[in-house]
Amino acid sequence: MPTQVKAKMIAIVDDDELMRAALQGLLKAVGLRAQVFASAEEFLRSGLQRETGCLIADIRMPGMSGLELQAKLNAERCCIPTIFITAHGDAKMRLQALRAGATEFLTKPFDDEVLLENVRAAIES
Amino acid sequence: MSFPTSKQVNAHDIRRYVLCYGLALVSVATAFGWARLFLYFHLPQPFTSFAMSAIAITFWYGGAAPGILAAVLSIFIRNYLFPENVNLLGRVGYNTAFIVFALLMIGVRRRRSNLEVKVAGRTAELTRTNEELSVEIAERKRAEDKLRQSETYLAEAQKLTHTGSWVWEVDGRGASYLSEEWYRVYGLDPRRGVPGWEERLQRIHPDDRARWKARIDGALSEKSEYEVEFRILLPDGEVKHLHTIGHPVFDPAGNLVRFVGSTTDITERNQSEEALRQAQADLARISRITTMGELTASLAHEVNQPIAAAMTDANTCLRWLDRDQPDLTEAREAAARVVKDAARAAEIIGRTRLLFKKGTPQSELVNMNEVIRETLALMIGDMSRFSISVRIELADDLPAIAGDRVQLQQVLMNLMANSIEAMKDTDGTREIAIHSQPGQNGQVMVTISDTGVGLPAQQADQIFDAFFTTKPNGTGMGLRISRSIIESHGGRLWAANHLPLGASFHLTLPIHAEAQE
Repeated sequence: MPTQVKAKMIAIVDDDELMRAALQGLLKAVGLRAQVFASAEEFLRSGLQRETGCLIADIRMPGMSGLELQAKLNAERCCIPTIFITAHGDAKMRLQALRAGATEFLTKPFDDEVLLENVRAAIES
Repeated sequence: MSFPTSKQVNAHDIRRYVLCYGLALVSVATAFGWARLFLYFHLPQPFTSFAMSAIAITFWYGGAAPGILAAVLSIFIRNYLFPENVNLLGRVGYNTAFIVFALLMIGVRRRRSNLEVKVAGRTAELTRTNEELSVEIAERKRAEDKLRQSETYLAEAQKLTHTGSWVWEVDGRGASYLSEEWYRVYGLDPRRGVPGWEERLQRIHPDDRARWKARIDGALSEKSEYEVEFRILLPDGEVKHLHTIGHPVFDPAGNLVRFVGSTTDITERNQSEEALRQAQADLARISRITTMGELTASLAHEVNQPIAAAMTDANTCLRWLDRDQPDLTEAREAAARVVKDAARAAEIIGRTRLLFKKGTPQSELVNMNEVIRETLALMIGDMSRFSISVRIELADDLPAIAGDRVQLQQVLMNLMANSIEAMKDTDGTREIAIHSQPGQNGQVMVTISDTGVGLPAQQADQIFDAFFTTKPNGTGMGLRISRSIIESHGGRLWAANHLPLGASFHLTLPIHAEAQE
């Protein structure tokens, strides 16, 4: 619903091209636009973090990991509601992410309804 | 031998002189006594003959000087004690007779001395010859003992190594010598005589007989050495594996006359080699399973990725279709992505399926560059997850090697996994470099180096030992198995520290003979 779209955008950071395309497609189906980034570094270089209302990120990526990206954003006082999606997240990693302020920690394959609820909650907040 | 002292010599000489000259006096006095006794009974006066006997006895037993003394005494007695009825001429006659007799006796005496010297010489010679003979006999006996001993040792060695020696003549192919062990190996009784050519041929396993015969016929026509591995079949059904080496012997004219050689029972060796091969195959399979176990986590992650994407894309597709007005274009796009996702999952499974295959090592022509690329494709996920960059330098003109592709892939996978393990907790550069090049002496060399923690100090060689591990949950078998695989391919695998940091593993594999030409 276009009326619900705010100025703040949704960012997808994942090194897997198929996953990026799938997430972008899903959001498009519910009328949300998203920007995709192949790595944490690419996202940081884009300078769009201040305008990002919701971050969907993979944990394990070449170069900077998802958790490192979160820590870096926190350090820059740029607190973006973040949803992590990972292939093999253990309890420890999940706890670390949530403690650092992540809104959700999803394990692949994930329930698309849960993801969308979290995304909506993030951008409406 | 001790030399007599001068005092002893003097005492001995004096006694001899006394005895010899005493003999002259006593013998002549005895002759005089006998002559007087005869005269008393008015018998013809016989002093001359008695005196001659006395002179002769003195010469013989007492020597020349006492003999002369006896002659002089006799002349004196003849002249002064029997002066009656002898005229001057008779006196001269008697004296001449005594003197001539004395001279004759001197001659006899000298002859005797010469004879004695000769006899002594001969005796000495005989003694020497005798001594030499006994020395020779002793030496011969020693040599014989030695020979007998070395024969015993040889027989013992033949027994220990199950090796029989033999000689067979080209003419008639009859055996002219067969060692005890040869009989034992062939299960024949030496007391039943030397087995003929046909009998020997009958012992050979029917399946190997033609090959064995052909090899020997070949050696006969080429007059060359021969070597043949074959089986024999004993009457009780036992099969033995034998290895024979024959060496041709020529006469001075250059004609081949016989073959000399040995036959070794290699049944046990063959069995243990077979067991070793089996163990190696099992080990390789176990290592494959182990590697698979280690790989499962990685594989799960790899496959999970496209599956998650497929589910999301499929859900998206449904969302487009479930709208009040289905958007078929968007739905088709989402469905197309599902196909792509599924294709990716299939590709990952396909790449690893090869590793699950059970079976004996397959030897084929392998290009190591291909093996490196295939293995890298399996490991790249792990590497990227730990932010490890890969640099590959592969030689374009790399010759093929003969080997088992899957086993070689396992070795590379193992080495790469080790590199990843060594780097995942390090700060700074994380790089794995893979390098292939044609090495020296018909070899292909592959090097995998990393910038990890390096080899454990002072333990660089031990890392290849079984159960040596620095990982918290490593089996300590990875490098051990890797080295065993490379060595079974006739190559070498070793490690070195990589400067300025990390470790490098080098492996060489011999180029396949056909590829070399």
